[in-house]
Amino acid sequence: MPIVELQHVRKVYDTKVAVDNMSFTIEPGTMFGLLGPNGSGKTSTIRMMIGITVPDSGTVQLFGQPFDRKNLKRVGYLPEERGLYKKMKVMDQLIFLGQLHGLDATVAHKRAHDWCERLQITDAIYKRTEDLSKGMQQKIQFISTLLHEPDLIIMDEPFSGLDPVNASLLQDTLIELRTQGRSILFSTHRMDQVEKMCDHICLIHNGKQVLSGTMQQIKAEYPVNRVQLTFSGDDSFLRHPSILSAKNYNGQAEIILHDGADAQELLAFAITHARITRFEVTAPTLEEIFIEKITNKSPENPIGDIVHA
Amino acid sequence: MHKVWLIARREYLERVTTRAFIVSTVLIPVLMGGFVFGSSFLDRKSSSSSAHIAIASTDTQFALDLQREIESTPATKDAKDIKIQADVISPPGHDIRGILEQELDDKSLDGYLWIAPATNSDHLTFTFTPASNNRGALRNTVAAALRTVLLRQQLSQEGVRSGEVATLTQPVTIAQGKHTPKSSTGVAYILFFLMYMVVMLYGMNVARSIIEEKTSRVFEVLLATIRPEEMMAGKILGVGSVGLTQIAVWMLAAGLISATPLASSLASGDMAIAVTIPQMLFFILYFVFGFLLYSSMAAALGAMTNSEQELQQLNMFLVMPLAFCMLMLPVVTNDPNSFWSRVVSLIPFCSPLLMNFRISLHMPQPWEIALSFVLMSITIYAVLWVASRIYRVGVLMYGKRPNLPEILRWLKYS
Repeated sequence: MPIVELQHVRKVYDTKVAVDNMSFTIEPGTMFGLLGPNGSGKTSTIRMMIGITVPDSGTVQLFGQPFDRKNLKRVGYLPEERGLYKKMKVMDQLIFLGQLHGLDATVAHKRAHDWCERLQITDAIYKRTEDLSKGMQQKIQFISTLLHEPDLIIMDEPFSGLDPVNASLLQDTLIELRTQGRSILFSTHRMDQVEKMCDHICLIHNGKQVLSGTMQQIKAEYPVNRVQLTFSGDDSFLRHPSILSAKNYNGQAEIILHDGADAQELLAFAITHARITRFEVTAPTLEEIFIEKITNKSPENPIGDIVHA
Repeated sequence: MHKVWLIARREYLERVTTRAFIVSTVLIPVLMGGFVFGSSFLDRKSSSSSAHIAIASTDTQFALDLQREIESTPATKDAKDIKIQADVISPPGHDIRGILEQELDDKSLDGYLWIAPATNSDHLTFTFTPASNNRGALRNTVAAALRTVLLRQQLSQEGVRSGEVATLTQPVTIAQGKHTPKSSTGVAYILFFLMYMVVMLYGMNVARSIIEEKTSRVFEVLLATIRPEEMMAGKILGVGSVGLTQIAVWMLAAGLISATPLASSLASGDMAIAVTIPQMLFFILYFVFGFLLYSSMAAALGAMTNSEQELQQLNMFLVMPLAFCMLMLPVVTNDPNSFWSRVVSLIPFCSPLLMNFRISLHMPQPWEIALSFVLMSITIYAVLWVASRIYRVGVLMYGKRPNLPEILRWLKYS
């Protein structure tokens, strides 16, 4: 039984089509990445999943049932725009949000305490929220999403604005939650994060699904035809006939090979011209796939439109 | 319902513990109390309870009689006794009048009575010169004592026995009855402006708290578990309870102040400041309805805007009906039961202020009060219906302020 199932969901705001014909499922115990540039419809899709807005057409199912508010107790939602009551003390805030999710105050208090310990912010517990740093507030928001032990965790851009140390702390926490059997959906415009973490992805652009499937499926569809190469000396080997296109960033070359070309041949050729310190054959990154998909679909859309973070 | 309660409780606790709330809750009764006690204190000061006069007369026996009479007579001003001390100067020297005038100037004397034989008869002439013109009570006391002494003199000359003279000339004391006026314009005005203040203040508080949640984006988190309608209800209830708490404290303070002997002694005078129980009850009832009405409008305004500044531009929607009530005040004071007074006080947006004002002035017909509540209930229902729809869409809209056609379209969203 899928945790979330969207079928042909469509949402129009006035004249703008925010989400068009969106269909995907999230299986239990998996991590699902909803990807797309800013304004592509990620947040609109999530809002329809948890009943903040209602789709114009199509159906949304949570936990195998048609949408029902009482199931929302099993969902934890971290919105893209973080929001906490500034004047409230951290513990009061966590208890309040826990109670809204149906916990009673003592349980909420205990769990909040445990989580604060786990995320190393115990000294913030009795402070006012407005006195905390942004990263701390983000952790508190993160905790508030998980207090009621939801089966489905939805995180909209969970890592934006976090320093690398805290980002990886939260990343590890999410991975741990998945191994406990929770389903996690997170949206991001940073493709590199997704490659490491997600089992399943859905790429969207302008409200439309561009690409959807498991990471393996998607990667398998694309030939391993990228070469990352570091060299010093003569760069004339970059005009080798097996090369479709090449970019040279001061001794760091990114090369796309012709279909069916053999990378070994290129390596042998390159050695004769320059000193090679690194030579790596890879599949295209998600970002590359995404850019390719979008430029193919709407050639009038310059690549510059796509936001890199 | 549980969630509405949670939201309301959070809102209530956060607001009740703010310094602004505590200060305004305490300060207003303190000011009220200070006003009452201060004015009564000043009142006492100005009518000092003892006076010192001089009697200058050529007739020593008459002067002594008069002195005894004055010193034994209680003055009758406002049931407060004035203790008068009278000095007899008899016979007066040539320069005594100048000395007495001098003593009036340096306030060691509150007045003097100059008694001189009339030029062409054996009658006497009396001239009382008070230190200031507002010592009417003193003059009356002196005059009454003079009349008694003269009467007694006359009676004994006619051969009436002294015992009978005493009975005949016994001073009459009139006890001061107590009448608390049912309607006092002063109280009515105070209640009117208090109502204006709290309805406006707490209405705007609802709008402000919505904007605050909008800017801090707490909404998104909350909306993932509760309906916008529940949130709005919780918010209105929470802020409204804060208002009720404040009013309850004020009313309690007013009740206590009115119960003190000082205030009741004032109430029997010209300026009644005592608030009656029905006035308090109606005030609370009309506050509840007025608050619901204005706060649901404010909730819609808050949901439409993104910042306090934007709210300022829109708050004329709240201020205009209230200002209209203020403009109608002369109409109602002129005749609380005139046709137009009735009409304006039945307009639901004005009832909390004007019907309540009429109740303080002159109790309207029961059906008018009942009708005002019915009309307000209907209006509140309608306003809430519209506001909750605007709220539902508006709280998730950031950026540009919506125009009227957009808002109308929001009403149709489900």
